[in-house]
Amino acid sequence: MGATFDSPEQFREAMDAVFGLMNDDADMGPKLRDADVPQRFDFDDLDLVVNIRATRAGEDGNLHWEWRDDVDWEPKVKMKMTSEVANRYFQGKENVAVAIARRRIKSSGDVKAALALIPITKPVYAQYRDVVQARWPHLLA
Amino acid sequence: MARVDDVSSAEAARRVGVSAATLRRWVDTGLIVPGPREGRWDAQTVARARLVSQLRERGHGVAAIRGAVLDGRLAFGFAEFLGSDDSDTQDVRSAARKVGLEPALVERILTTMGFPAASLDELTDRDVAMLEHATTALTLGFPLVAFLQLIRVYGQAVADIADAEVRLFHLYVHEPLMRDGTPGHDIAEQMSELSAQLLPLSIPVIEHLHRRQLQHFVEQDVIRHIESDPAEASELGRVRVAIAFADLTGYTQLTEQQGDEQAAVIVERFADLVKLTLPDAARVVKTIGDEVMVVSSDPAALVDWAVGFQQLSGEEPRPRIGVHVGEVVYRDGDYFGREVNLAARVAARAATGEVLATNAIVAVAGPNLDFTLLGEVRLKGFSEPTELFSADLAGE
Repeated sequence: MGATFDSPEQFREAMDAVFGLMNDDADMGPKLRDADVPQRFDFDDLDLVVNIRATRAGEDGNLHWEWRDDVDWEPKVKMKMTSEVANRYFQGKENVAVAIARRRIKSSGDVKAALALIPITKPVYAQYRDVVQARWPHLLA
Repeated sequence: MARVDDVSSAEAARRVGVSAATLRRWVDTGLIVPGPREGRWDAQTVARARLVSQLRERGHGVAAIRGAVLDGRLAFGFAEFLGSDDSDTQDVRSAARKVGLEPALVERILTTMGFPAASLDELTDRDVAMLEHATTALTLGFPLVAFLQLIRVYGQAVADIADAEVRLFHLYVHEPLMRDGTPGHDIAEQMSELSAQLLPLSIPVIEHLHRRQLQHFVEQDVIRHIESDPAEASELGRVRVAIAFADLTGYTQLTEQQGDEQAAVIVERFADLVKLTLPDAARVVKTIGDEVMVVSSDPAALVDWAVGFQQLSGEEPRPRIGVHVGEVVYRDGDYFGREVNLAARVAARAATGEVLATNAIVAVAGPNLDFTLLGEVRLKGFSEPTELFSADLAGE
């Protein structure tokens, strides 16, 4: 059993930190925007959904995300996982193929497109681990 | 600016293996552009002269070589910056005496590393220095049987690296310049500049990658030791591993339809995707055309990966995967034996998008997977039938 978040708010704060790191990073941000793969994450243990997409013309930054389902775009990839798996996933401690086989991650849509993002997002693992170490050390995977 | 290693014409002729008059003639006829210092030869010019000498020995006429110089075909790139070991050469017996090994063993070491037979009587001081490192490794107690396998892997890996460096430089730098109609001397200049900048980068990159990979494999080895049962220790040189073969079905047809280049890109993406998604305990041993061979010390994780990988491979061409576990011979960085052959045959039986596994895998797999018995199959080359199972996510 992995570490658990103290509250849904803490989890949301952590995921906002992850997406913020990707958005702000000079390398990751533009590459993710160019890849343009809208994703929907369903964190079923906390009943939280976040939709994330590349920014549109006139919007600031590289990524735009909203913690709700009624958004005006369609996700290309849907991934469902618990908050504990998400925490491990963004620390680079969850192998996607094995996690899918073990039902720790359920995926649908163009999963191959999401896989193509992994090499781009790899730097976020270490960055998120640093954030976790500093702010929520009990969540270090 | 003249370099300190510039040599006289007589010495240059000795190093190239021709007379000083021949060198002068090559300069006069435009085969060689002399160095900046009158009467002195720098290492790059000597390297060029060596290549001209080799071309002459292979029967190429002076006019043909001069034509190649003019149109850029004879731009040397890396060759000019490798320099050469111009120490006096020695034979195996002399080298063996210096390092304190038997001549037969020195010869075996060098041929295992990939030295051509003809070069064994022309060993340089650098070759001897390398042999001294080999001697030290053996003196420290590293078993000869393991040492010979290791240096064979070194030799093959380094040959692959050098071959790729030269081929890729040729394909993506030299040929485009020639196709653009760039004059020969400009090609030579551009290639020389790029080579001079690129070559020094390779050793630190390779050294760093080696350290990173070593760290990863040492960690995996420690984990394997802790998780393995000492009572089930394999014989010396044998290991128990899970083996998976994955290939793209319909690849031949795809090549016919989309052409060699596009098919190569698809295979490259497939192999990258395999590497990207493998669990820590697994690694790609080799790729053979559109087929990838993977081994893992964790059979349950490997079959999980195989099933998960199929879920991730949404579009055509989809792979077929066979997984098996057993005791195999580890030699020269590769895995051999009946169980490897069996895994390959299992994969060959799989249909597009399917994962087939043997009974040995079913026995160690987790409850997250369902295995459907397909029956006993007589696999090509095996006298006994093998039970094959189709692996899927449980409840699918």
